Amino acid sequence: MGKLHKKGKAGAAINYITRNQALKKLQVTLADFRRLCILKGIYPREPKNKKKANKGSTAPSTFYYAKDIQYLMHEPILGKFREYKTFAKKMAKVMSKGQYSTAKTLAENKPIYTLDHIIKERYPTFTDALRDLDDALCMIFLFATMPKTEKIKSETIENCQRLAAEFQHYILHTRSLRKTFLSIKGIYYQAEIKGQTVTWLVPYQFSQDVPTDVDFRVMLTFLEFHQTLCGFVNYRLYSDVNLVYPPALDLKLDEGGAGMNALIIESTQSSANIAKTVNQPITSSVAASLSKEEKQRLQESEKRLKSLSSKIARIQETEDNTTTAENDQDADSAMDEFPAPLPNLDGTATGTVTFTDIQKASQHLTHFQSLFSNCAIFLSREVPRYSLEFVLRALGAQVGWDAVLGEGSPFDENDDRITHQISDRPTQGHRFLSRQYVQPQWAYDCINAGKILVGDAYFVGKTLPPHLSPFVEAKEGDYVPDANQFEGQTEDLAIESGDEDEEDEDEDDEDEDEEDADEEEEEDAEHKDLHQIELEAEAKGVAFTEFEAKENKKKTKAAKAAAEPAASSAPATRSAGKKRTAAEAEAEEAKELAKIMMTNKQQKLYTKIQYGKDKKAAEVEKLTKKKEQLAKTAKASANKKAKK
Amino acid sequence: MPSTRPTRKATALKAAPALAKKATPEPTKKAVVAPKSKKRTVEEARDDSEDEFGEVAIDMASDDDEEDMDGDDESDGAEDFPEEGEEGQDMSAADLEEDEDEDSEGSYMDGDSIVDSQEELDEEDVEDDEESDFDDLVEDDIDPNFGHNLNEPLAPESDYNPIIREYPEIDPVYDSDSSTEENENTVGNIPMHWYDDYPHIGYDINGKKIMRPATGDELDKFLSTMDDPDSWLSAHNYKEGQDVKLSAEELEIIRRLEGNRIPDADYNPYEDQVEFFSSKTEIMPLSAAPEPKRRFIPSKHEAKRIMKIVRAIREGRIVPRKSGYVPPKPKYYNLWNDAEDKPREEHVMHITAPKMKLPTHDESYNPPAEYLPTEEEIKEWNEMDKEDRPKNYLPQKYNALRNVPGYGQFIQERFERCLDLYLAPRVRKNRLNIDPESLIPKLPSPRDLQPFPTRLAIEFLGHEGRVRSISVDPTGLWMASGSDDKTVRIWEISTGRCMATYYLDELVTSVVWGPNKEVAVLAVACGYKVGLILPEKLFSPELALHTEEYLKAGFASVTTGEPNPKAQWKQPTPAEFEKGIRVWVHLQKPVKQVTWHRKGDYFSTVAPDANNSAKTKGAVQRVMFHPTKPMFFVATQRYVRQYNLQRQELVKTMQTGVKWISSLDVHPAGDNLIIGSYDKRLCWFDLDLSSKPYKTLRYHQQAIRSVAYHKRYPLFASCADDGNVQIFHGMVYNDLLQNPLIVPVKILKNVHQRVDALGALCVEWHPTQPWLISSGADHTIKLFS
Repeated sequence: MGKLHKKGKAGAAINYITRNQALKKLQVTLADFRRLCILKGIYPREPKNKKKANKGSTAPSTFYYAKDIQYLMHEPILGKFREYKTFAKKMAKVMSKGQYSTAKTLAENKPIYTLDHIIKERYPTFTDALRDLDDALCMIFLFATMPKTEKIKSETIENCQRLAAEFQHYILHTRSLRKTFLSIKGIYYQAEIKGQTVTWLVPYQFSQDVPTDVDFRVMLTFLEFHQTLCGFVNYRLYSDVNLVYPPALDLKLDEGGAGMNALIIESTQSSANIAKTVNQPITSSVAASLSKEEKQRLQESEKRLKSLSSKIARIQETEDNTTTAENDQDADSAMDEFPAPLPNLDGTATGTVTFTDIQKASQHLTHFQSLFSNCAIFLSREVPRYSLEFVLRALGAQVGWDAVLGEGSPFDENDDRITHQISDRPTQGHRFLSRQYVQPQWAYDCINAGKILVGDAYFVGKTLPPHLSPFVEAKEGDYVPDANQFEGQTEDLAIESGDEDEEDEDEDDEDEDEEDADEEEEEDAEHKDLHQIELEAEAKGVAFTEFEAKENKKKTKAAKAAAEPAASSAPATRSAGKKRTAAEAEAEEAKELAKIMMTNKQQKLYTKIQYGKDKKAAEVEKLTKKKEQLAKTAKASANKKAKK
Repeated sequence: MPSTRPTRKATALKAAPALAKKATPEPTKKAVVAPKSKKRTVEEARDDSEDEFGEVAIDMASDDDEEDMDGDDESDGAEDFPEEGEEGQDMSAADLEEDEDEDSEGSYMDGDSIVDSQEELDEEDVEDDEESDFDDLVEDDIDPNFGHNLNEPLAPESDYNPIIREYPEIDPVYDSDSSTEENENTVGNIPMHWYDDYPHIGYDINGKKIMRPATGDELDKFLSTMDDPDSWLSAHNYKEGQDVKLSAEELEIIRRLEGNRIPDADYNPYEDQVEFFSSKTEIMPLSAAPEPKRRFIPSKHEAKRIMKIVRAIREGRIVPRKSGYVPPKPKYYNLWNDAEDKPREEHVMHITAPKMKLPTHDESYNPPAEYLPTEEEIKEWNEMDKEDRPKNYLPQKYNALRNVPGYGQFIQERFERCLDLYLAPRVRKNRLNIDPESLIPKLPSPRDLQPFPTRLAIEFLGHEGRVRSISVDPTGLWMASGSDDKTVRIWEISTGRCMATYYLDELVTSVVWGPNKEVAVLAVACGYKVGLILPEKLFSPELALHTEEYLKAGFASVTTGEPNPKAQWKQPTPAEFEKGIRVWVHLQKPVKQVTWHRKGDYFSTVAPDANNSAKTKGAVQRVMFHPTKPMFFVATQRYVRQYNLQRQELVKTMQTGVKWISSLDVHPAGDNLIIGSYDKRLCWFDLDLSSKPYKTLRYHQQAIRSVAYHKRYPLFASCADDGNVQIFHGMVYNDLLQNPLIVPVKILKNVHQRVDALGALCVEWHPTQPWLISSGADHTIKLFS
């Protein structure tokens, strides 16, 4: 007989701990425990067997992983919480006695805790931090627009505004914005930072209605953590691109409502340079006594300074061409780092990412990053500058705005350089012929499409084409709203990248040619003696029906290929009412028969999956039907109009 | 202003209608009452006093003069307090002096406030003058009593006079309560009903009884109340045993008490404080103690403490507070060091929070029109519980970005996300990312497994009841069918013609051809008996003769020995014989099934109603002979048992796992068997493999009625109450290691119509061809080829 196992000594019974047990163990109040959980990122678990985890009891309770709680016991913050409690007691005592000077001293020695170690603990690498930045950014952008209330201090709001502006500046600087989406909830942005996609949602800038059914203690604890995280991430991001962190704040611009422009972004090298250049005359005068080596070094540094000073000029300019160039360089250097594709043993390069692929991707990226680089865009006073300026500048545009929208506009409405004017009004009174008047959606659609769309559809006062989410990746069987949405022609602006596009297309053509060649081969095979193939198949052990099916497939493929040019525009979804062919009916019957042989487990799983699939299909069908209906009604109304 | 002391006599005051007290006709009485009532109006008081004077005038002529004099004195400018003091003194003095008659006045004066009536005052003063006179003590005591009692105390007075100790005159201090009392009942604050049985109601200060004043009867009381307009102003004084009229002051006091105010209207609760100990140096200080030392010598203890702080400051232990304290700002630095940082190791228990779902097209401010909800959808969404909604927003379309409002639920949604992050239990869910088609087993195509019946070839019509049982003869030419219309029909398979019909007297539950080709015999189960039929016409005479002989031999062998009560073999009647019935076997219970041994030497019957469940371990459903070996299969409700007939022992029990077996068939090779059950299952048993089913299939929608193996082809079929017939390819390999291959090849749908919840009742294979024959509750027999 094996060793006797006592109940409740192993497994779920000791792996999990209920919340009340955890409170007892940690000797904290529930509020403190919650704060700890938020800060430390500890969350309840769902044990597989609750009864076992709860030592036989089936009473509903929240379970935590026992080791998580164990690990909380050594948390320095826990000590700080206790200190704070005593501080609060002392303070209350002193205040009730009216000893205000003592209270002041006490207040100055208030226990303060930092969350640095927790950030490091939760995100051991910078990439981890970036991966979890979504929620933090959403929170910070939300609180940046919140009004000051009893619970939300103005310092918090200011800090959030600052962090948000800093982050946006980084995105501008590195041109890492990828997607945007105007939703009914707010504006979604997606950026790619160090290979991680970061998505955040910014509410439309209206005064937020502070709800009463929200526990702001929870929100603020989260915010506390998110602020710290964002601060460290911003520091790291800035230092990675050699910018000074924290950036200085131009108070005058800030008061003028310049928004994120109020921050003065400086390069670390530039500031160092200035210091050095000031010092240089003195050092050169003393240089006589210096050794040769040092002289050399000085000369080198001087050289570097010269090159750097030009760089600073570039950085400090709001013009973007130079920065894109820099980016190009960056991209090139990044490209260089890619390991060369390993020479394939077979000598074929199929299935692996080739160097040319990477090159193409990077070219595409650089083109995307300088999407608006040839545009000077003016924002009318009724458009949301906070978003448009960010979005346009993030892709290289020069943006000016009406004075109503704040200070700091680089050019005014009458400037000749302006290529586009974004306005959102029923009609446009005075028009400059040299520029296009578009609605704000144009900018977002351009970004999502990756090219500059013709502004006609977006002309002021026109009914806009639908704005689609760029985050949806259409899978097979999904409903695709209107594929032609982004098929608008690119503008006839003199963009060098246009040529690249053409190249791309050429390459596509080549690919197609290759495919064609494959098919041809197959056809050749078909010309072989069918009987022989049959024999071969039999020898291989392929059932006759399978073989036949294969043959049929080939045939249908060929037929399809023939029919494709004619019916390429036919809708992908097949109408359900179509008469089934005999082959289909047979296949269906075979499937039905095969289902009989499924095990019970498989059957259940199959029905489950099929349920989900059916649901999705029903949704798609609903949408298609709706669309058809809409098209019909539209047509009918058009006819009516025509008759009239 | 004279201060009134209402407390004096208000103790036992009871507001009551004035009792039988005729104030006007009896001035003496009034006079007695008067001193008690302090709240009388001024006018009244005056009237009374005048009345009294009117009466007393004769006796007190001398007094009057003095009164006048005193009155003048008083009016000159008498102070309140001294006067009171005087009054107090008066009382006792007056008490002592006064005559009976006078007394009334004196007491009246005494109790009342003096200022109101000048005359009263005067009178008092007169009494004052006569301080020294102590003679009339006794009379004085009695004088509160009423008229008719007045005479009484006079007699005892004379008796007691020498005994009574006369108290020295008390000099009442100012404010002394007792000083103002006169002829007070001294019993104290006791329940007055203690004196109910006595003629007196208490004692005065000298220990004399105070007699109870006369009270009239109820009528008197009533009349007095009617007569006296002021009766409502009077109250009963229990201590004195009479009604007293409340004076205006007393009424005022009552009113003030009711209003929760201080009774005395003149009392000022907020008097200026008199500062005894102030900064002012008084000429006559309250305390003349010398200034203590501590006032002018510095404290040693304090010096010590200060020195402690000084030393600490000098040593730098105490740093003075900097002006302008600024709370520390968070400092950021490069937290991550790429060279040293190692990503966290993946741990099973660590579950990262899922990211927020990215928005879909319908969340757009300007979605394609087909995403917009219809009115019904909006209504449905609004009526749904918040938790049940598939999405927390309704798609909406705005023509321009300027029209887009702020999202009202933004903070709530973020808050919910926060809650999800720290409150929602996380569990790792393995999402199956498999193609559902991959779950469907890959089976050989049915087309590769041909031949099997696919289409209806012949329909056999003629029965007028459910066709319960069918059987094909071993040659494959004929088919027999037994029906609920009490007939057995024999059909030609190739044409569908009915060749013979046997009318029996019971429902035919089972028909089976003998398996021996040399003997053409059909066993028919019909009610309580089994008949053996020889359809002579269908067979050659030789075969018929051979069968005849065979049956005779069999009959003889059975009947020669001891008759078996359970199965009695009997000859049919000549009419029956004419039809072709050769033998009847009578049984004790209705027979449900007949089955032949493979050689046709034996047959077995099943009568489930026969109660021998102890032996069979459950009601027998089906039995079957092994096709090659001397084995016998018995299917009870849930088990199939295999018996060795030679050794007469149980070989094996198969646990089917079904609830109720309906049918059973053994594979022609004998190593496999299938059962059908009423709970829709079909089980395939591999006898060599296990006692549990090799495969359990559930595909029929209703109870399976019959299952059958084909004798030659690797086919088997099942039929069920749903009217469907399923055909399977069931290949059994000679190789023991290879499991049987079961492939469903055809579903024959709605072969038989459902009648009374019964569909297809029996399936049977053609012995040589891949043809399937099925019979059903719709009176038809169908052949599929």
